[in-house]
Amino acid sequence: MSSAQIEIQLIASIVAIACAIPGTFLVLRKMALISDAISHSILPGLVLGFFITHDLNSPLLIVMAALSGVVTVVLVEFIQKTRLVKEDTAIGLVFPVLFSIGVIMIAKNANDVHLDTDAILLGELAFAPFDRFLVDGADLGPKSLWIIGTILLITIGLLFAFFKELKISTFDAGLATALGFSPIMIHYGLMSVASITIVGSFDAVGAILVVALMIAPAATAYLLTDNLKRMLVLSVIFGVFSAIAGYWLAHWLDASISGSMTTILGIVFLLVYLFAPKRGLISVLYRNRQQQIEVSLLTFLLHLNNHQEISERHINHLNEHINWRRVRSKSVLDLALKNNMITIDKSIISLTDKGKNFTDKAIDYIITNDHSKIESIKEDFFLFRG
Amino acid sequence: MLGSFAVLRKQSLLGDAISHAALPGIAIAFLITGTKETNVLLIGALVSGLLGAFWIRSITKRTHLKSDTALGLILSIFFGFGMLLLTYIQKLPNANQAGLDKFLFGQAATLLARDVWFMAIVTFICLIVLLLFWKEFKILLFDADYAKTLGFNIQFIDILITSFIVIAIVLGLQTVGVVLMSAMLLAPAAAARQWTNSLGVMVVLAAFFGASSGVIGTAISASQNNLSTGPVIVLVAAVFVGFSFVFSPSRGLLFRQIRFIQNRKDLELHKTLAFMFEIAQDHENISHPHAVKILNNFHGYTRKSLGKLERKEYISVDGSMWSMTPKGYHFAANLYNQQGNENE
Repeated sequence: MSSAQIEIQLIASIVAIACAIPGTFLVLRKMALISDAISHSILPGLVLGFFITHDLNSPLLIVMAALSGVVTVVLVEFIQKTRLVKEDTAIGLVFPVLFSIGVIMIAKNANDVHLDTDAILLGELAFAPFDRFLVDGADLGPKSLWIIGTILLITIGLLFAFFKELKISTFDAGLATALGFSPIMIHYGLMSVASITIVGSFDAVGAILVVALMIAPAATAYLLTDNLKRMLVLSVIFGVFSAIAGYWLAHWLDASISGSMTTILGIVFLLVYLFAPKRGLISVLYRNRQQQIEVSLLTFLLHLNNHQEISERHINHLNEHINWRRVRSKSVLDLALKNNMITIDKSIISLTDKGKNFTDKAIDYIITNDHSKIESIKEDFFLFRG
Repeated sequence: MLGSFAVLRKQSLLGDAISHAALPGIAIAFLITGTKETNVLLIGALVSGLLGAFWIRSITKRTHLKSDTALGLILSIFFGFGMLLLTYIQKLPNANQAGLDKFLFGQAATLLARDVWFMAIVTFICLIVLLLFWKEFKILLFDADYAKTLGFNIQFIDILITSFIVIAIVLGLQTVGVVLMSAMLLAPAAAARQWTNSLGVMVVLAAFFGASSGVIGTAISASQNNLSTGPVIVLVAAVFVGFSFVFSPSRGLLFRQIRFIQNRKDLELHKTLAFMFEIAQDHENISHPHAVKILNNFHGYTRKSLGKLERKEYISVDGSMWSMTPKGYHFAANLYNQQGNENE
């Protein structure tokens, strides 16, 4: 590994961490799309900054871009407050307009400058190490590493300083107000941090990757845990992992680094989405199916409980009576047999004591809706959990 | 036109997400076929757009992630994957690859007559389907549970709407590009929403706004050089939205403010009248004249309001004296009754 490779991976990882932290809060506050909006609407800010300084490397550009990010948020809130349209529509209206203004400003006045929309939207991490930060001729490493490192330090500092406030205002804005924190202050603080992070990161990795790095790790982590601290840590881990794995994928395919980082993020999310123990698609589907069978089982047992006549308890009769398909009846019968709730004697089904007991408890529960009665059967059945 | 449904379904940003999600489809279609045939690429875009849309739906339905997260996630991941493929394609020894990224930013000027015909046909089909399923769409939009109890297959209708939105977006991509597509979908609908509460009128209005912003935008961009068409169209659409926000008669900001002021004036007037009523009540003859001087500012009295009351024939003013008319007395008495009823 050459030093440039290490530097690229380092930058990517730091960007990933810097994005994951505000991203977690954005996802929890249901404002994930603001990051998308900001990443597009910083364009006019950048262009304005460029007109003022005529220097692509001036820090004023970053300040202007961050400012226009904040302006986006304010505009969205303003439109939303008029209650003429919903929040998502407001976002969808504001950022294309700002972006268009940016594009037109470039087209009219800065056509000869290297400031094209591709570069802003896509970014190119591979060139990041060539842009060195020089002080008195001494090479102190890539410039974007310094920028994003500073932003990360500020973010982490703010996170530790205001963790409690952030937590309360995210989950219970009313309580936060009652306790004397201003949710609006925290809201705008968070937005400014997000906006600055996006601006700081995008010239290293591009706007789309910034959005992906903000939302994807946080969403992935949210599928795995409910604990805020754990979620933060997990999303940082996912972010860094994707950054490094993405770099090597890009290296191998000789393709865009930010694209492959995003792809890795997507794959990680897909895996977690499918296989997460509690919230994953497969476990949710399994749980639904299991609950369905258990409801059938209960119906079936109740039916048996109600009918003492032999004719009503014949296996084939049950098929007709409860109107189940063959497969379903069989799986219900199997489940009941496995739990020793019924016995089958010459195609006649009878309830065992255990089955009777279970049925009584279930009826009690259905009638009284009292949880204490079913503590003992909760263990075995999804149906009665939550 | 279809944007109306997106706006009303709170899925406004779906357009944005899908237009980004279409990118990998374009790239894959190119990788497989190796041609730049517009139709092939469009089909690729359509497939991956649909895939993205349904994945978003499944994420919001099956997990506790909210729709905004799902949208942002799909948007960025698909787009990133598309970028990966595009850069990969660029490295391939195939001279045919240039211009794929035209899809990203759109060039209305490069459209061929054939493409335009194609778009017109698709629009026509959309229109027919919309008319055929009008009732179903409407019910699903405003009361999904009711639609279900009526026995409509909501899933099917839902998929139908989503598919048409995706088709519309993919077609529009060529014209205005990825970023601005969402504005094209939203802005006319959001503007139309301000003028009406009826779905039918809204759809027609949105189509009208969309078409006129397209025409005006193109005209402006053609009249000057160096102006790309897409952004100008979006800006024109935004002007429509802003105009609608401010000037729409029932919901607009301007009229809301006017109504607000008017209400306040009415209230002041009623206050004065109520005070007069109280005085008049103490006298046998309700039209007994009183001095204007006993009214003061606190009762909401001004010269103007007195004139107004007189014009409404609630009181009659004679020099520096005023007296209540029977009409005014009656109105003021009812004013109290109304308030009393509301308090109960």
